[in-house]
Amino acid sequence: MATTFPSTEWFNAICELVNNDPAFRQLGTVDSVIGVKVGDKIFELTFEAFECTGVREVAESDLRDMDFWLEQPYDKWQEMLNNIKVHGAADLTHTLNTIDLSMPEGLARSHDGYRRDAFYRFNQSIQDFFNASAKIETKFAEESALTA
Amino acid sequence: MANETIAIPDDLAAKAQEKDWPLDLVQQALAAGAPAEQIMSYMDMGVTADQAREFMAQGAAGPQLDLSWMDTPTEWGTRAKPTKHGLTLEAINIGRYGEIPDVWEHMTEMPRGAVPIPGVEAMGYSIFQKQEVWSDLCAPMYEEAIQRRWRPATDVPWDSIEPLPDDLERAIGQVCTYLSEKAQMEADIIGRWEPEISYGYHEVKLYLATVVFEDARAVEVFRKRALSNGGGLGLQSPGWAFRSVVDSRNFTEMVALQFVLQDSLTLAEYQFGEKYAKNAAEKYIFAHAIEDKARHVAYGISHLKYVLLHRADRRMEIERYLDKGEGMLLVDDKKDTAARPAWAIYFAGGKENIAEGLRIYDHMRRQFVTQYLARLRWATLERKDTINPGLRAYVEGGGE
Repeated sequence: MATTFPSTEWFNAICELVNNDPAFRQLGTVDSVIGVKVGDKIFELTFEAFECTGVREVAESDLRDMDFWLEQPYDKWQEMLNNIKVHGAADLTHTLNTIDLSMPEGLARSHDGYRRDAFYRFNQSIQDFFNASAKIETKFAEESALTA
Repeated sequence: MANETIAIPDDLAAKAQEKDWPLDLVQQALAAGAPAEQIMSYMDMGVTADQAREFMAQGAAGPQLDLSWMDTPTEWGTRAKPTKHGLTLEAINIGRYGEIPDVWEHMTEMPRGAVPIPGVEAMGYSIFQKQEVWSDLCAPMYEEAIQRRWRPATDVPWDSIEPLPDDLERAIGQVCTYLSEKAQMEADIIGRWEPEISYGYHEVKLYLATVVFEDARAVEVFRKRALSNGGGLGLQSPGWAFRSVVDSRNFTEMVALQFVLQDSLTLAEYQFGEKYAKNAAEKYIFAHAIEDKARHVAYGISHLKYVLLHRADRRMEIERYLDKGEGMLLVDDKKDTAARPAWAIYFAGGKENIAEGLRIYDHMRRQFVTQYLARLRWATLERKDTINPGLRAYVEGGGE
């Protein structure tokens, strides 16, 4: 059954996949609170030690408490996830770092120049998290559903 | 049992005669439980009859051991508990063992929390103040570095590298030469500082050991890439920027120049290396090198913040180190005729598009300066207006 992106259900499904994947654990510890902003919808992902320990939908004001958040236009989210689905993982042109450098404002954003560096410190775990979406059926929400 | 009742094997008796061991001594040894073969091997090793008698006499009296060390007044009963991250350095920093002093008063290699003994020679440490080296990130980042390690020989998908046009292979060879050299320099510099830091701050020493290891891995992996696809190494770097780090006279100066300034540049280079990777192997290499380098930067900037919080009077001093380092970095830019065009050819995919590559190179430099300034701002150092004009020019330019 397809799971709708973006939604807490979708992120929880990915959490469950990576938490049960020895390869994700092998990448090492991740300690970070990360946001994913799609349209007006914002999701907070908490990583602790070797697991994704929490997913919740939050408000714009909560972004300040996160290390960083990932933000790009909705069609770019769809392109990234479709690319991952097709290749089983992001290809050379759709990795998080590559997308980050392709956007004037960056994909990873933060109110804090130091905490944003968590994007680099845990980059491969976060990439692995999104790559895991290749293993589920994703249904994309209507764009109109992403406005507050 | 009386010694005379024990029979001596013929070969042992013959050996005893040959080696001048009295038979009563041989019987005594056999009575004590020594096998005949072992006694013969002692004889062959040159153990004399007198030495054997002395040894057996000591055994009969029992060892005289000094057990007063068992009364050492360390904090006893400590039971550190593993956390979600395992039994980490932070998890064992409990009680007296977790008290990190502002000033460490011991010249020897005594571990923190142990009891000193008199008469031990000094180790030659020169750093005894916490503010000189500390960052609260040292212990967790040591664990992070250990957990997030990777193995270039087998993890990198080397088979994904296919033949590249000669100009592109030469460009990546030059880039790898430059990155490998930078990493070796950092490892050498940090290795030199390790013995200066007293044992009271073992978290710093341990974390720096991972930096040296990660630099070694960078030396290894970029050298391997250069030599794996029909190309080779390129020109060495002029080394002006390295010089400012090598010549650092105190630890915080070295941290400001290496971990904050130089490593911010290297981190930006790795980011762009990842974006413009020509194959999965290069993608993997740069992506993982990014993680290692981001930890180095995090240590550096958090150390600067710690220093400024505890020794506000060092602010001007640190600004001066950065002035010097930024200036030397720009000298390198002028003297290094290879790195910039090599990066540009790599980015553009060939010599024919080098103008586009140079534009991307400027974007990389802008990314470096922007992130460097943002990190310094977090550490309470605002250098937007005081940064070397040559570097400021990158952020005053346009976007990619």
